[in-house]
Amino acid sequence: MPMLAEQKKRTVRINGCVASAQAAKYADVDVIAAYPIRPYTATMMALAQMVANGELDAEYIVADSEHSQLSIAHGAASSGARVFTGSSGVGVQFAYELYSPISGSRMPVQMMIADRTLDPPGDFGSEHTDALSTRDMGWIMGWSCDAQEAFDNHLIAYRIGEDPRVLLPQMVCQDGFFVSHITGDVELPDSGQVKEFLPPYKHPYPLDPRHPVSHGPQIMPEQGPPLQLERARAMEGSMEVIEQAHEEFAKIFGRRYDPWVEEFMTDDAEVVFFLQGAHAVTARFAIQHMRERGLKVGMVRLRTIRPYPTDRVKDVLSKFKVVGVIETNMGLGSVSSGGVLYAEAAAALYESQKRPLILSFMAGMGGEAIVLKEFYWMTEKMLDAQRRGKIEKRTHWVGFEE
Amino acid sequence: MAYTELTVWTRGIIMDKEGRDIVNSISASARIEGKYAQAMENYVDNPDRTNCPTRKYCRVSDDVLENELTYENEHPNIVVLVEGTMVKGWDYMRGMPPGGTLVINTHYTPDYMIRFVPGAERLAQLVCVDAAKIADHKWLYYRLGELGLDRLSTEGAAERNKSIAPDIAAPLIAAVVKTTGIVKMKTIEPMIANKHAFDVALNELHIMTLNPVAV
Repeated sequence: MPMLAEQKKRTVRINGCVASAQAAKYADVDVIAAYPIRPYTATMMALAQMVANGELDAEYIVADSEHSQLSIAHGAASSGARVFTGSSGVGVQFAYELYSPISGSRMPVQMMIADRTLDPPGDFGSEHTDALSTRDMGWIMGWSCDAQEAFDNHLIAYRIGEDPRVLLPQMVCQDGFFVSHITGDVELPDSGQVKEFLPPYKHPYPLDPRHPVSHGPQIMPEQGPPLQLERARAMEGSMEVIEQAHEEFAKIFGRRYDPWVEEFMTDDAEVVFFLQGAHAVTARFAIQHMRERGLKVGMVRLRTIRPYPTDRVKDVLSKFKVVGVIETNMGLGSVSSGGVLYAEAAAALYESQKRPLILSFMAGMGGEAIVLKEFYWMTEKMLDAQRRGKIEKRTHWVGFEE
Repeated sequence: MAYTELTVWTRGIIMDKEGRDIVNSISASARIEGKYAQAMENYVDNPDRTNCPTRKYCRVSDDVLENELTYENEHPNIVVLVEGTMVKGWDYMRGMPPGGTLVINTHYTPDYMIRFVPGAERLAQLVCVDAAKIADHKWLYYRLGELGLDRLSTEGAAERNKSIAPDIAAPLIAAVVKTTGIVKMKTIEPMIANKHAFDVALNELHIMTLNPVAV
């Protein structure tokens, strides 16, 4: 099979969708399973063009739905292929049946998600609910906040998922529009760097007529628990591999990411935002402006949500007086009657000796940009809680209150 | 701090590339000149349908753009109508601060077109340029066959023609750059594929001066 042509390091101006396609190309994927839905579609269009132009030697299969798309991905991965697929919004939901079988059979399929609000009634904007609703299905999962980070996360995720100690699928998520359609300078690596970082993929037990094995047969109930335990251990054990992969990535590519959380201006912060994804970009500007006014505010951005870095979140968030969780997802009837990030942050903090007050902010809903003045408003709410020493209200819908 | 917003109104699919070329080339030029700049399409207009009004945006600033994630240009200083009949029917002037520029691709004169412009008192100048004629553009009716081959609703991801401004975008870019100075002529000129149309347009702009405001 022809290998990926030699590439020299260069910086290009591309959006998140194209960055993801480029990452799949650099990872030299074998099979691409596509089905269109906005906003991730442009990734598959870019990949189709790469295959057509002979830049990438891969099987490009257009499915008849997302359910088939993930089924194709599952089958291809079972035969030992490196697989790339993706979706957005309700497309992520339509494939739901496949998420557990793929992680259960320990196939390191990679899925790119460009978030889109779930219906009703049909909104292109980014909410993280689509991917987050699958968060307990055994997929490694995290969000990037710009196109460069999206590119990098794809390579890092393949390296983690394909590690024989892990063998789990990965959802590499980015906000629709805010990352997928916003261009940024992206450094594309030298192909030698990728070769060094991401070894060729080899599944230990692929489906191969020369060496017959069974995948996914019917089992008796007593065989279930050990399989579930193994999958749970794989997820737990991936934490060490995730840290190693990020370390190795920093050495080879020169970009260092904390695998779990990005801390921004937290050294002497008393109140912090806790969020995922692209709104961190605007949050950084808002925090700098508020710092000029003497407010001790910072940000903690969660980079990996599965596996959840419980101890890290506990240690980091315990340093502050107030934590404001910016949800950007729907958790109807959840612990906070807001989103789903609150509950896990609160649970992580439960064992801490120094628990901050926690507020939940429903902001960026429907894919609205969170603007500077909304960050200022949320900071006021956090400072108010700090002054009172208690929260007035657990969940605030930003833009719907005074 | 100088901050400029440029909004291009165009027709879905058949004139998508023209709109995209205008914002992309101006944004790229501004970055070459050391400014902060961003070009993007209106996310909600896409995926567009043939002939639907769609918007493309460009922001150019001396300082880092803090509103990079905001969907729409709220206060466009410069508005371009890629197709002349778009002058009627919706408020493309919404949010324009005083001292703005409106550029229209039309064979009519500014004297004739000004009557259709909502809120024209905000304009410092109205610029008309017969871009379709200057660029001998292929959406002229007798060349529709060529058009069908090249246009897909793909948000630009699968555009067949990779050159920048091979057609009517060239005269429109010339009009914007010459009348507003948003970027330097010498920066943008080398990027333009249809240099002939670009150069001809520079001498064929019909400019109506309206209410200039002191900067």
